[in-house]
Amino acid sequence: MTESGDPLTVETEPRPPPVDEQPDDKGPTIRLMSSQLEVDEAEQIAAAVRDEGIPMSFAADELVFELDRLSCFYGSFQAVRDVSLQVPRNQITALIGPSGCGKSTLLRSFNRMNDLVDTARIEGRILYHGVDLYADGVDPVEVRRRIGMVFQKPNPFPKSIYDNVAFGPRVAGFRGDMDGLVESSLRRAALWDEVKDKLKQSGTALSGGQQQRLCIARAIAVEPDVILMDEPCSALDPIATLKIEELMRELKKNYTIVIVTHNMQQAARASDVTAFLTMGDDRAGYLVEMASTQDIFTRPAHRLTEDYITGRFG
Amino acid sequence: MDRPADRTPQRAGPRATFDRALDGVKDDVLRLGALVEHALERAGRALEQRDTELADQVRWDDRDVNELQRQVNTEITTLIATQGPVARDVRQLLALYHAAAELERMGDYAVNIAKLAQQLAGEPETPILKQIPRMERICREQLRAAMRSLVDISEEDARGVAARDDEIDHLYNSVYEDAMQLLAVAPERARQTTHMLFAAHHLERLGDRVTNIGEDVVFLATGQVEDLNP
Repeated sequence: MTESGDPLTVETEPRPPPVDEQPDDKGPTIRLMSSQLEVDEAEQIAAAVRDEGIPMSFAADELVFELDRLSCFYGSFQAVRDVSLQVPRNQITALIGPSGCGKSTLLRSFNRMNDLVDTARIEGRILYHGVDLYADGVDPVEVRRRIGMVFQKPNPFPKSIYDNVAFGPRVAGFRGDMDGLVESSLRRAALWDEVKDKLKQSGTALSGGQQQRLCIARAIAVEPDVILMDEPCSALDPIATLKIEELMRELKKNYTIVIVTHNMQQAARASDVTAFLTMGDDRAGYLVEMASTQDIFTRPAHRLTEDYITGRFG
Repeated sequence: MDRPADRTPQRAGPRATFDRALDGVKDDVLRLGALVEHALERAGRALEQRDTELADQVRWDDRDVNELQRQVNTEITTLIATQGPVARDVRQLLALYHAAAELERMGDYAVNIAKLAQQLAGEPETPILKQIPRMERICREQLRAAMRSLVDISEEDARGVAARDDEIDHLYNSVYEDAMQLLAVAPERARQTTHMLFAAHHLERLGDRVTNIGEDVVFLATGQVEDLNP
């Protein structure tokens, strides 16, 4: 990008510098640490996908979930068709798409929550750290301990703040320092400072945003590996929403997060990887595209994705 | 059951992620300014000292400037697409985007001066008109002041940057007059004289680009678009 057209500036190539000063072909090493966006890893992966035309994939030890042609049914109705995707560890993966595209169903299949629906069944496989979640002998209760869930509407138990957090560990037979566990869980959920003086008060007396963070504290008290979030902010005001999003970015250092949201701006702001689903003529949801959030929101590969995120469809 | 390590999440406001990213972009634009300032200083020195190797370095290092500008563009595009910035946040991103483009162009002027230095070094030696090193020094001071006003979002400092552009313009006019005289009295040195005139021209253009960054800062601080160098 050098200026041209200057009659007195003869366009000659500069002589190469001495060998020890040869410019680095990989570009300048002048990136400042503070400017590293947290989506960098995902961005590299997505770039590989685009360049190579291969499906987005991660190294085996970076994977938490691997879906292999997963289909979900309620009776004879097919809600999700042939979804194959991978969920990377310690990242926030967002599932977006129009209402009815099966994203919540997909999310609930990640911890076998749909087992609780009589007519629900799946085809295909979900591998969790390489283990088939739906294989014989897998205990769904243990699955749900490791893969926790936070729901759309904050749903604290009608118990004290303390007991809300202590409930799960007690059921799981925790015999250690319960006070310490409650405190550390509330701290991780960025709620401790607001409730430390009223742990005996009812959890339902808190504000909506605080209740949702209490539910997150409750989810992490049983030491999960993954936190699934199903529209966790749709009942919250914008500031409480931003607080939850900041909390998610803290939590991802220790947990893998998968979030369903129909707030596209939330997926854009808060996630590292975005999967866009839509539904076919038979109303079965399917995966259109999965890429780094940066790519999805700056240069989606698929026209359907572009139409959806720009508000022209869906 | 293992207890998790006790750790309090950093709570630095509900838009901490965006603020950190914005700081990162600002750092990168400042870095870009520092690269250009360094390029200009070396180009000026190459011109005065007939140092063709130094001029080569300036030309090579321009790749760093171009690469960093592309990186800043990508960062800002991503922030606009994903973070929904409004009000001062979006003005700041737009101002940084434009400042990065101006800086990239200033880097090109430094390269052009380096090329002129190489051509002058191939001609019989002629003293450099004394206004040119002064123009180069003022340009660098202006650039540094503009970058500072950008970081501090100081409207007052930005206006100061623009006001000093007159000094550069005055020196450029003076170079032009001297060049005309030289052409008349020493036509055999016409090439050297025109090279110097062009070097001064590049510096004058560079000064205008610095003023443009001052206009960006005024826009950032006030939301008003204003021509500071009418």
